[in-house]
Amino acid sequence: MKKFDLKKLKDIDYKKLAKDFWYGKPHGERRLGDLYCEKTGLYKHREWRGFKDTMYYFNMIWLYNYGSIVAEVLKSGGLEGLPLFVKGLWRYRWIGQAYLPVLHWFDRGLEGMRGETLRASAWHYNAMVGVSVQQILNMLKADANMHGGKHNDTWKHTIAHKETLWGGVFYPWSDKFQNVPMEMIPYFVTCHVNNHTVLNYIDAVQSIGLPGDPCPMCQAEAGLFVLDDMPDYAPFMVSTNEACDGSVASTVLQEWLWDKPLFAMPQPMQFDDPLVQEHCANEIRELWKFVEEQTGVAPNFDLMNKRLESQNELQRFEWEKWDVAANTNHYPINGVAQALYRIYQSQYGDNPIWHRTDKRVRKIMEKCVEQRIDTFPKTRHRVIAWSCAPLYYSNWCTWAYNCWGLNTIINMDSLMFNMTIRTDNLDNTVLDMARYHEWAPMRRMAVGGMHHIFELWEYMEKFHCDMVMMYDQLQCKGMQGVHGMFEDEFRARDIHAIWMPHALPDKRTVSRSEIRTIINDYMTTVMHEEPIDPSLLDFDDSQGW
Amino acid sequence: MKKFLKILGKILLIAGGIYAALFAVFFFDLDGKAIFHGVEPFLVKHYDKMERKDPLKAPYEMNKPHIDYGTK
Repeated sequence: MKKFDLKKLKDIDYKKLAKDFWYGKPHGERRLGDLYCEKTGLYKHREWRGFKDTMYYFNMIWLYNYGSIVAEVLKSGGLEGLPLFVKGLWRYRWIGQAYLPVLHWFDRGLEGMRGETLRASAWHYNAMVGVSVQQILNMLKADANMHGGKHNDTWKHTIAHKETLWGGVFYPWSDKFQNVPMEMIPYFVTCHVNNHTVLNYIDAVQSIGLPGDPCPMCQAEAGLFVLDDMPDYAPFMVSTNEACDGSVASTVLQEWLWDKPLFAMPQPMQFDDPLVQEHCANEIRELWKFVEEQTGVAPNFDLMNKRLESQNELQRFEWEKWDVAANTNHYPINGVAQALYRIYQSQYGDNPIWHRTDKRVRKIMEKCVEQRIDTFPKTRHRVIAWSCAPLYYSNWCTWAYNCWGLNTIINMDSLMFNMTIRTDNLDNTVLDMARYHEWAPMRRMAVGGMHHIFELWEYMEKFHCDMVMMYDQLQCKGMQGVHGMFEDEFRARDIHAIWMPHALPDKRTVSRSEIRTIINDYMTTVMHEEPIDPSLLDFDDSQGW
Repeated sequence: MKKFLKILGKILLIAGGIYAALFAVFFFDLDGKAIFHGVEPFLVKHYDKMERKDPLKAPYEMNKPHIDYGTK
């Protein structure tokens, strides 16, 4: 038996121990990498963030969010909500496999966060979970597969559309019909929460003969239908060529396998020509005619204006947030919370949950500004992330801040729908709605033409960033075409840029560990810097969610 | 009053015990470990075994409107 060494007890610095217990270890002494279980990304134990922040995390994030998921299920589904959710979980892989570990998604995104940053970022996550549960329940309530093949009243009052089609075009029917994007919950959000699930859909579509090199997002979206893992929740569907024409290809397969009346609403890739605006606006008007034909209900434009005004309010707060992020060091939202919340909110459209969250975040942000709280005190570089991010490693920016002090201030997807929509008369409104579509993620600044792709330089200046994290989606043919031009510009402008290769949802092409190695190599060999937390340099999370 | 305080004490004790147990689940990531090692593999096995429609048997021409372009 090992002898107990009293001397060791004497050597302990109890004052420091008490300080660490109460305040948490200072950044640099935390050794967050030591908390991981080998390969799985699970924690030996969750991080001790100091008494106050650990109890906040336990009560207001962990307990609160488990509780609010149940509450949202009951709120959205009524009394039948819980059994319906369990039935759905048993039927659909993307519910059971992807969404159960949702609290680990919070953990990964919020590692190392403290104080107001922890709180504001967590509220963003909470909002995304709330809206996701709403959508899951909306799908399940309408789903014929859940109701013995019967098409119930909810099915008849639901509109299905591609996730890349902005939900706002259905505002004129939002008092009588719900619109649910087809892939936002079964595909997009799952990749962030549990990246294992999506691989089944990519493999499924390749199993019927699709080659492996098209955009894996489009592959996975079609794969959901190939694997018969899509709820039958609406009588008709609306598609679009957002973000690029890859979406048209995935719709061909979806339409074949779903066999529903379809309206395709294409928007031009190169949209700067004013002559195309009228054409785009007409596409939206044609869509409204189609919805009216299908539902027998005329559009309610007063209702639409009301919802648009409400959405404009969200945009105006987003501008306030950007102002604080760009010009101060008091911005309390971390890179991953900023990116995911914004893309989700602006793509999905108006929802009371976004307003409730913005109200909470405003309070926190104002406190940070008033009290001049340095929210990311170990910032060495202010980073702007450009192009499309790896969905299976959206929390890379949390890791990069903890390990290297790389603070992602803003990202391309956040800056997309950068506009309010006029509601003064219908012509202006429809023109603005068309413009909103053209400014969608992966469109405006990825395949929308050189001028927009190179808006990077302008935003870099505006947000006072000194470094670019340049995403390199290996299967995006649009962005591959401008790779060399970016290289030239980075060199000519003397900008530090790290290229991050990835295959959007598919972690098998470039692993998270490889992404970290690329950043580590740049930071040591080019920047000659030392890591803040060396335990995070190299660890194996290959099987992790 | 004494009986009430006794019951209240018991309730608080049980609630405190549950709270402490939940904190242990949280702190040692027992929820994550249970899902990763137990629930997810079980569900994956179930999903892999599920009978699914064969997509290649889905006919393409169903309920599609006939459009006469007048080309003949």
